[in-house]
Amino acid sequence: MTGRPSVAHPTPLVLEGVPFEGTPVTLEVRAHQTVALLGDEDAGVGRLGGWALGLESPPAGRVLVFGESALDLPPQERLAFRRRVGYLPAGDGLLHNLTLRDNVALPLRFGSTAAPRAIDGRVGVMLAAVRVAHVADLRPAQVNEEERRRAALARAIAFDPALLLLEQPFDGLTPRTASELLEFVRGGETSEGGRRTVVITAQDIPAVIHRRVERVYRVTRAGTLVAEPAG
Amino acid sequence: MPDPLSRLGSDVARRLSHLGALARFGFGAARAATSLTHAGRAVAFRVAVNQIRFTAVHAIGLVMLLSGILSFLVISQAVRQLGRLGVTDLIGTLMVVAIVRELGPLLTALVVAGRSGTAIAAELATNTVLGEIRALEAMGIDSRQYLVLPRFAAAVTSLFVLIVACDTVAIGTGYIAAAMNGMSGSRYFEIVLQSLGATDVWLTAGKAAAFGAILGIVPSYYGLAVRRAPTEIPIAASRATVACIVGVFMCSALFVVLR
Repeated sequence: MTGRPSVAHPTPLVLEGVPFEGTPVTLEVRAHQTVALLGDEDAGVGRLGGWALGLESPPAGRVLVFGESALDLPPQERLAFRRRVGYLPAGDGLLHNLTLRDNVALPLRFGSTAAPRAIDGRVGVMLAAVRVAHVADLRPAQVNEEERRRAALARAIAFDPALLLLEQPFDGLTPRTASELLEFVRGGETSEGGRRTVVITAQDIPAVIHRRVERVYRVTRAGTLVAEPAG
Repeated sequence: MPDPLSRLGSDVARRLSHLGALARFGFGAARAATSLTHAGRAVAFRVAVNQIRFTAVHAIGLVMLLSGILSFLVISQAVRQLGRLGVTDLIGTLMVVAIVRELGPLLTALVVAGRSGTAIAAELATNTVLGEIRALEAMGIDSRQYLVLPRFAAAVTSLFVLIVACDTVAIGTGYIAAAMNGMSGSRYFEIVLQSLGATDVWLTAGKAAAFGAILGIVPSYYGLAVRRAPTEIPIAASRATVACIVGVFMCSALFVVLR
């Protein structure tokens, strides 16, 4: 059920000449780092997830994930490729007619060959880990924003991806919750590998998150990418 | 400004291309079935059962009511008019040819198009506008496996069940109408059963499959074709319903031509 790729390509995410605010940007996100890419709504940073997963094409340049561009892959391989990347869309992207439990289980049910019972077990563990087990059988409209975000994060890491793309993940959350969720999705150092690579795109991030990420880049109004002090 | 002939040509080309896109969508959905995982099949099955509940179980009362009224009207008039001419035996042929073969399936398909076709298109369009389809694709889920395939299977199954129910009620109500107009019940059943053949069973199954395919695929296609604007939802629902009705009528005509 794991989506971690063979670490043949060391660079989880590379942007080659992708324009933000019209200016081409080149950026490399190294393995096990947590990077925040900040910019105004019209800067285009919020579209990075879609570009990386091949949901849409960047206006120029290309986005490589573990050395591959999703847009170059045939449809079935593209679906498999996306399971290697965890993605939290802005909002939460939960399906409103499913319970939180079914939302988290859905990618595993369609994308893994694990037995239904094994999937149910894993989902139960993940829901408990993000502390929404008590509302797991409710639908998104019946829970609060924080619980929805927690469930959406559990879904994003369902395949245990090595790279996680988070769009505005901390909007509307308290700094404490934001900090707790970031630590959860990063995972810990284990014998099987290091922490996940996490890329956060947002207009801004709380100060407590600012201190916890390794790199912070901001797209200026002039379209240049400026590194801010972080950590 | 293009001349009328060019306009007509481009309109025909556009419609044919639309038809091609619909066919590709349908075949793509069917092909997606081959790569379903075991757990995915269980989810798709649950979605299909839920859709059958809405499309068949919730609609069966309406279909039976309309079928009963239609049959009552046709047979009442037929007994009176054919009785004057002394050819009441033609009632059996009329019941089988007009109602069981043609009007029953057509009426059923229209009810399903109006209820479920609209609902499927609106639901999928809403899913699209809310970004749920994008989220599914981002998770590596083929939305055709989760959303289209179960609705396609449910529409075919529902159509078959509803057409059988429609025909049964039509024949039963025809008996009442015949009896009220002076024909004996045993005579009515005798001439109806004489007119029914094995072909009618195959035809019912064939029409259920064809109409079901139209009513499962077309609304899904229109529902998933919207972009991001909520104003597109009612447009998609309306277009899907119209396309379903036109498709069902054309398909019905095709059955007559091919038979």
